[in-house]
Amino acid sequence: MLLDFALPAHDRKLIPEGRLSGQTPWVIAIMLFLTLLVAAVGLSLFDAVQKGGEDLAQQATLQIIEPDPVARAAQKVEVSRILRDVAGIAEVNPVPDGDVRNLLKPWLGNDVIDTDIPVPALIDIRFKKAPDDATLNALKARAQKMAPKIRLDSHSSWMAPFFQLMASLIYLAVAIFILLLIATSAVVILAVRSTLNTHRATIEIMHMMGGTDLQAARLFQRRVALDALLGGVIGFGAAAGVILTLGGRIAAVEPGLLAGASLPVYGWVALAIIPLAVTGLAMLMARWTVVSALKKML
Amino acid sequence: MQSVVEFDNVGLRYGTGAETLTDLSFTLYPGSFYFLTGASGAGKTSLLKLLYLAHRPSRGAIRMFGHDAITLPRDRLPGFRRRIGVVFQDFRLVQHLSTFDNIALPLRIAGILEKDLLSPVTEMLDWIGLTERADARPATLSGGEQQRVAIARAVIGRPEMLVADEPTGNVDPEMARRLLQLFEALNRLGTTVIVATHDIHLLQEIEGAQMMRLDKGRLSDPTGSLRHPPRPLVLKN
Repeated sequence: MLLDFALPAHDRKLIPEGRLSGQTPWVIAIMLFLTLLVAAVGLSLFDAVQKGGEDLAQQATLQIIEPDPVARAAQKVEVSRILRDVAGIAEVNPVPDGDVRNLLKPWLGNDVIDTDIPVPALIDIRFKKAPDDATLNALKARAQKMAPKIRLDSHSSWMAPFFQLMASLIYLAVAIFILLLIATSAVVILAVRSTLNTHRATIEIMHMMGGTDLQAARLFQRRVALDALLGGVIGFGAAAGVILTLGGRIAAVEPGLLAGASLPVYGWVALAIIPLAVTGLAMLMARWTVVSALKKML
Repeated sequence: MQSVVEFDNVGLRYGTGAETLTDLSFTLYPGSFYFLTGASGAGKTSLLKLLYLAHRPSRGAIRMFGHDAITLPRDRLPGFRRRIGVVFQDFRLVQHLSTFDNIALPLRIAGILEKDLLSPVTEMLDWIGLTERADARPATLSGGEQQRVAIARAVIGRPEMLVADEPTGNVDPEMARRLLQLFEALNRLGTTVIVATHDIHLLQEIEGAQMMRLDKGRLSDPTGSLRHPPRPLVLKN
């Protein structure tokens, strides 16, 4: 394929190469810009889900829902002590009552929290590795000996709908990515057919002189490859600018669900490969289109 | 003597229309010179298209260079076409290429190295008197100059068979004579030459040339030469 790209100068003249003078490089640039943005979104979400999923799967929160505040405080201390001795638990962090109240204030108000509603005591637990249901049940049973009224929530279970949404968005990004690649291929095919029609007389003459289909196809491959490469560079440059700008904005947002949404290094490598892959794809499409069209000639 | 071309009961029709060529049976021998004549619409260009493998016949058999040209696989056609030089009636020069590049085209297609084609192309340019116009594009050449370029392009690869459709139609008598001399020189080297022409004066230029006459798609053979081995050719002074 690379050898096909490196045509001698005199062969190149057979099909004039009007670089950036035609519409094809610009159309490919726009298609690649959109393709790269979709790929960047997909890769960022994938990375965020991977990192977030791993992190959340290792976390759980234990709630002590004892209505008596004195007993609740005592149980919180005791359960925390027991949990610290359990193998497989990396960290145990009792959440200060003040933090829990602050968390609920926006919904319930200061007065209600302080007087009427028993606010559960919370203990955040981080496991060394994601626990299975049996581990969680055993842990719950152990804690219930100190505090009968408890609830143990794995973070991965309550975040599951969020990750399902993320997974759906990733699938959507993959689907749009594939559709854009198909559209880009269609653009290449149309461009090659148009060029083929423009230079049909030249190709026919080459044929009559004993030129092979592949000799003709190489001319188009080179032209299309140059268009695709130029379009790819422009599209990549524009997409990289947008991704870096948005990345900066996202980084400025308060840490939360968006905090993990950044394009990882392997994502940048993948984005850089896409224009090259599209160039290769364009060359293949050009060869296929030209050879298919020429087979209709004798 | 092994033939270059053998037609056996060949017919050609375009689409579902009537036959353009009907029951053509003849043999062309190596080193022979043939003039193909006939009124406009008689089928000369169609016959030439069969000869330079631009079409396959609707029926009949064609052998070319000892091979069945009808069943020849498509991927072997380029090899056969490189053995045939063609001068098209409408020249068919590549408009964005210079005179030099147009003439060099068959050699480049055949994979001749640049260093090896400079000399023959320069020689050919000199022979057709267009050395000064080597860089000119076809659009800037006169009809006669374009025709000379088309002929130079057809003969530069020293084809085994040369097929020319009205090759002297746009040149003055002196240039026509020089071009015929070129064809004759090629013929002496063993090339089979088939020249389609309306110009009956040309027929007298090359002694020993044989005539094929097409009339409404059928071949008549007034000299009977197609049935006999060719005679030595002599250029008439």
